[in-house]
Amino acid sequence: MAVDDGLTCGARRGTLSGMGPRLQRLLDLLDEAGGGTVGTSMRLPVHLRNAAGVAIELGIGASTAEFTVQGMRAVLEAFAQRAALDAHYAAHPDTRPDLAEIALATAELDDHPIASHPQLIRRAADGVQHIKDDPTPDDVLVYAAGLAAAAA
Amino acid sequence: MHRKHRRALAFVEATAARNLRRAGTVRLVVPTAVRVEAGWDRRAAGADAINRLRVDDAPLGSRAADLAVPVRVDLGVSVTDAALAAAVATAPEPHAVITSDAQDLRAIADHVGTSTTVVIL
Repeated sequence: MAVDDGLTCGARRGTLSGMGPRLQRLLDLLDEAGGGTVGTSMRLPVHLRNAAGVAIELGIGASTAEFTVQGMRAVLEAFAQRAALDAHYAAHPDTRPDLAEIALATAELDDHPIASHPQLIRRAADGVQHIKDDPTPDDVLVYAAGLAAAAA
Repeated sequence: MHRKHRRALAFVEATAARNLRRAGTVRLVVPTAVRVEAGWDRRAAGADAINRLRVDDAPLGSRAADLAVPVRVDLGVSVTDAALAAAVATAPEPHAVITSDAQDLRAIADHVGTSTTVVIL
């Protein structure tokens, strides 16, 4: 999004402590509006290109290039979001929510019935870490549902 | 540390986890009217951290304003809440709204006729 002085939002934001210059550059580029296009050649799996062609016929998208750009942006945005969170925690470690808090938030966003049992989610977050390395919030919710079923 | 700050970050973490697993699964959106009410100026130096969380604006443009007017008239809600209703009405479902005022938001979701999960911050 461009602002009235011609600078992009990202370029005006300074640098977060803990955020490297290359990550800063990535964020600025993602925030940049317009900027023209560039021609490039890339090798696509044939089946994926053909699937894109069918999707275009179905009116789901305008072009293979559009799908490619959307996919690339989505991956980069996900990485940028994760990196921004990590940079924030580097500066403010006490703001980092724990796995149980994130799992509860996930359940609430999904309107999952287990969301009304935060203690069960807390127990599940503690338990799942004993059986799986680096569990996700969804792993916790599956574990919590198992605990609930076992108790029923 | 403010409890709401950590809880808000838990919601961002929840979306980040989904997006890392499958890119583009969840979008974080803030209606521009809500930004005005919250005093969130993206150009301000103090907005550095929140700006980087990849929260998109839902602008109150011409179409959104037309959608917001009947919500404000029929429900008597604030302009900000009516703008939120317009954002919800135009966003692909499913969506969840994170708010401190669940009652108004549930009435708005019913009025707009969308499947909206209302989450208390």
